[in-house]
Amino acid sequence: MSEKTKDVLLSIVASLLCIVIGLLVGLIILYCINAENALDGFTRIIKGGFYLKPKGIGSEIAQSAPLIMTGLSVAFAFRTGLFNIGAAGQYTVGVFGALYFALILHMPWYVCLLAAMVCGAIWGAVPGIFKAYFNVNEVITSIMFNWIGLYLVNELMYSTVKGMYDQKTTRTYKISSVSPGSLIPDCGMNAVFKTSSTTIAIFIAIALAVLMYVILNKTTFGYELKACGFNKDAAKYAGINDRRNIVLSMMISGALAGVGAGLYYLSGGAEWNPQVATALPAIGFNGIPVALLAMSNPLGVVFAAVFVAHISVGGAYLPTKYFQPEIADLIVAVIIYLCAFVALFKGVVAGVLGRKKAGKGDAK
Amino acid sequence: MENEYIIEMLNITKEFPGIRANDNITLQLRKGEIHALLGENGAGKSTLMSILFGLYQPTSGTIKKNGKEVHINTPNDANDLNIGMVHQHFKLVECFSVLDNIILGVEPTKGLFLEKEGARTKVLELSEKYGLKVEPDALISDITVGMQQRTEILKMLYRDNEVLIFDEPTAVLTPQEIEELMKIMKNLAREGKSILFITHKLNEIMEVADRCTILRKGKYIGTVNIAETTKEELSKMMVGRDVSFSVDKKPAEPKETVLKISHMTVPSKAHDNNAVKDVSFNVRAGEIVCIAGIDGNGQTEFVQGLTGLEKISGGTVSFLGQDITKASIREKSKMGMSHIPEDRHKHGLVLDYTLEQNMVLQRYWQPEFQQGGFIRSKAVREYASKLIEQYDVRSGQGTATIVRSMSGGNQQKAIIAREIDKNPELLVAVQPTRGLDVGAIEYIHSQLVAQRDKGKAVLLVSLELDEVMDVSDRILVMYEGEIVAQLNPKEITVEELGLYMAGAKRDKVPEEV
Amino acid sequence: MFLLIKFTLLYAVVLMLVALGGMFSERSGVINIALEGIMAIGGLAGVFVLALGGNLPAAVLVPVSILASAVAGIVYSLLLGFSAITLKADQTIGGTALNMLATAVAIVMVKAFNNASEAGNGAASAKLVYSNEAFIYKIGPFTINIFLIIGIVILIVSYLFLFKTKWGLRLRSCGEHPQAADSVGINVYQWRYIGVMISGALGGIGGFAYIVPSVTTWNFEVGVAGAGFLALAVMIFGQWKPFNIAGAAVFFAVFRSLANIADSTVLSNLGLSKNIYSMMPFIASMIILAFTSKNSRAPKAEGIPYDKGQR
Repeated sequence: MSEKTKDVLLSIVASLLCIVIGLLVGLIILYCINAENALDGFTRIIKGGFYLKPKGIGSEIAQSAPLIMTGLSVAFAFRTGLFNIGAAGQYTVGVFGALYFALILHMPWYVCLLAAMVCGAIWGAVPGIFKAYFNVNEVITSIMFNWIGLYLVNELMYSTVKGMYDQKTTRTYKISSVSPGSLIPDCGMNAVFKTSSTTIAIFIAIALAVLMYVILNKTTFGYELKACGFNKDAAKYAGINDRRNIVLSMMISGALAGVGAGLYYLSGGAEWNPQVATALPAIGFNGIPVALLAMSNPLGVVFAAVFVAHISVGGAYLPTKYFQPEIADLIVAVIIYLCAFVALFKGVVAGVLGRKKAGKGDAK
Repeated sequence: MENEYIIEMLNITKEFPGIRANDNITLQLRKGEIHALLGENGAGKSTLMSILFGLYQPTSGTIKKNGKEVHINTPNDANDLNIGMVHQHFKLVECFSVLDNIILGVEPTKGLFLEKEGARTKVLELSEKYGLKVEPDALISDITVGMQQRTEILKMLYRDNEVLIFDEPTAVLTPQEIEELMKIMKNLAREGKSILFITHKLNEIMEVADRCTILRKGKYIGTVNIAETTKEELSKMMVGRDVSFSVDKKPAEPKETVLKISHMTVPSKAHDNNAVKDVSFNVRAGEIVCIAGIDGNGQTEFVQGLTGLEKISGGTVSFLGQDITKASIREKSKMGMSHIPEDRHKHGLVLDYTLEQNMVLQRYWQPEFQQGGFIRSKAVREYASKLIEQYDVRSGQGTATIVRSMSGGNQQKAIIAREIDKNPELLVAVQPTRGLDVGAIEYIHSQLVAQRDKGKAVLLVSLELDEVMDVSDRILVMYEGEIVAQLNPKEITVEELGLYMAGAKRDKVPEEV
Repeated sequence: MFLLIKFTLLYAVVLMLVALGGMFSERSGVINIALEGIMAIGGLAGVFVLALGGNLPAAVLVPVSILASAVAGIVYSLLLGFSAITLKADQTIGGTALNMLATAVAIVMVKAFNNASEAGNGAASAKLVYSNEAFIYKIGPFTINIFLIIGIVILIVSYLFLFKTKWGLRLRSCGEHPQAADSVGINVYQWRYIGVMISGALGGIGGFAYIVPSVTTWNFEVGVAGAGFLALAVMIFGQWKPFNIAGAAVFFAVFRSLANIADSTVLSNLGLSKNIYSMMPFIASMIILAFTSKNSRAPKAEGIPYDKGQR
């Protein structure tokens, strides 16, 4: 077994450890809120979509697709040395792109998806430009542009662009009723799962994950991007245009988040409510735990996204009489908190496996 | 009976995972003496001093102060025992004043608030007594390296320390400043302070030390009285074999001009003035031209301007007859310019990449290593293996080693292999031997000379006086961004060179040099 | 105009308190991106005290609820301290996790509380209702809330602490050059914890001050709606200096207030909607950041975990 395989295995074990601890915390909270029904609630979370077959599985698949994309968005940025906390904003702007091309222009789904991608890319490029040319930390810019994007999209959908907002439902019009041709085809999956938004989006997402893996690991472009991420100065020394690459990285990252928005909204998964002006879409932020759980590996993102979708769907099946569906969010948040020191877990795991003599050399 | 030794470190052993940094080392410091601790990089000097200063705990062995055994667990304990240290990299807060840095950790207070007047008086008295001139209210970022070092010394004196450790104190100083430091150290010893002086520079030991303890590869080699020894003997103890102090080389045979720099000006990032002012000179094929000077006199900016890491604001550069003033880094590299950068961690390597990925850092885009945008990993691996063998780069797992885990010397060798294997028409080497041990230095010097003998041009930038004198065929001295002298290393002395470097002397340099 | 001044003061105090909190944390060397979450938790604790102890006299209720918000903020900030200082984990990731956790915790707790008090009829909301009379004083035409006074006191104390005491000197040295601090016997870990805890206390109070004076119902699903992030921008704009931060806070608050009064005053004639005004402070901070980043006075060692072994 080479060092690299060992490291990958160790990473997987460490991620699993984060998940287990996160779930345990969830269980404890369930006990604190209502001890009688705690085990039942916990089982529902663990079962996820499988609690309510086949509908649950269908909605799990539907939710996984956008999560894979936002996860890829964050993971891609991480690999190139950037923390794209702005996936939520890029996702939001992507929603506008997709819905505008669908509801107003009645374009076919792939054009709408492309529009979402371009919108996300533009919104991602801005923090990249700020980082590359003004040396402003991308984290702070991304956060600011999340809010700017949210208010902008709300303004556009609510009043500026006529024909998107439906007074009756207080949401945007349903694509299925206004422009059915803009819906991503489901190839019969909705019928199988008895759902309304299980489409081929999941396959698009997986294909993009594979593409990102290839770009990052096999191409000179990936070599350049990663070199910039690891060491901007050395990349410059090697004749790589570091500024251009920072902007490109953020653009690609934003594009991925935008595609995520397209995949979700063009599948008919939800309609946008421009009056909830204060909340950024959770799918955007949940890309962060997905990327962290996956150790920023594009292929790992697929599995991590399915996991997060799994327990979110499970959370929705909690009996609201006793529990709050947000407990699933809480578990996810605990897991990211743990992911922040996953390196430590790796050390612990390695120690337990006896590859290192634990405790020695750390005299304290 | 009063004890002869103020500090005794007896049979000290320190193990880190996988390495024994100190192996049964004994060091005894007499009251009022200057005791040198000599060894190459990696010999264990810093570890030993860190143990004395409480930063590490020894795996075994005892420390005695005035004959009594003591345990030093933190720098606080060291401080309580009146042991102070001037670290190689100064431990000064840049945006604090000199006075704030001196009192940090032992601040005098009145009620809830700081009371600095008493401290100021004490600092000024000490400064007077030992000839340590400082401005108490100046910010560290605004004062010279020399004054920063005096601040560090005052930090120790302010705490009434009796044992003063100097870790490589002369590395950043000019010959004149070194002279002054030697005086200060002697002065301190005369006033009863005991001094430990860590260095690998033999001349300084011969001048100032009373005794010297030598370490090699973590082991204790011996302690000698300076009055009874010679430089050659010390160096033999340090390295374990005879060392030639000069580089063997034939006289240079310069041919056509390869690099022509006219009136180059580069702005400074630190201040409003230009860092490089109207610099003009030539480098010819088959010669090693060395830019000498004290750190911070524009050499860094000059090289960055030349190689394209920073923009120049005036003048022209021509290379092999072509104007490359506005050329990109990649274009310069394609034309045959190689660059061994000053900071191998910042510029030279992507530390988290593998050795093979670093070996192609300058050429991954060439058809040899990529096809249609996809990296030909097999070709990369084979090429890296070839270089590793040819230049004897040692690493844990061959081409797949993450470079961060390699030793500094091997990292530098990897860079040198990569840059020289490009067979460049011009090799720009900036401090190529910094922080390396004698063996590696000899090797790198011989590579530079070999490059010259192949008829290529070499531009060396160095702060090490010995390197400047031994390796170069022609010396250009840079002072405050200007070339102030062109010298022949065979015709001048180190002292003279020092005067030029310190700005005390300057020649009229002809337009074309 | 009165309305504008009123809202400006309201927001300025909140932004200043939280930004000062961020300043202490960053001056000690820890980037505190979790301010948003700390505010939510602090606000939650304070509002809970109000909701539960509504009958207590004002003289008790006010200090107890403020104290509760501060303590909750401190406890929550310790989670950041533990991950960033003790475990040397990535400070940005840890902070992001805490922001997400805070919202989830607040919703779950409020819903569970409402669920219990409404005898478990399910589908509880995340809203809490409380009275804020005790916090507001009328002086002539002005209404002044207690947080304004607290804010001014904390501003002055912050300045004195940071620049006139030995503790301030030590805290700052840990954020600038922790190795130097360590070499003169200052416990870097301890001071970083102190910095983070002060930011927790001020962030907690700030969150409470954000929620209480302006409204009497709060929906915890929105957390504190980005105020914590805005406070980060205020801190950067204020260049990590107390009085500059106060000035920056007022500047940002003006924009924020415009959004609030946009629909109800003459400003509505301009035809700009609430969304546009809401965007403005964020756009303003971006422009300012772009121009000030070149000569930023950020503490040199912020964001870098201190490891004794590495020197």
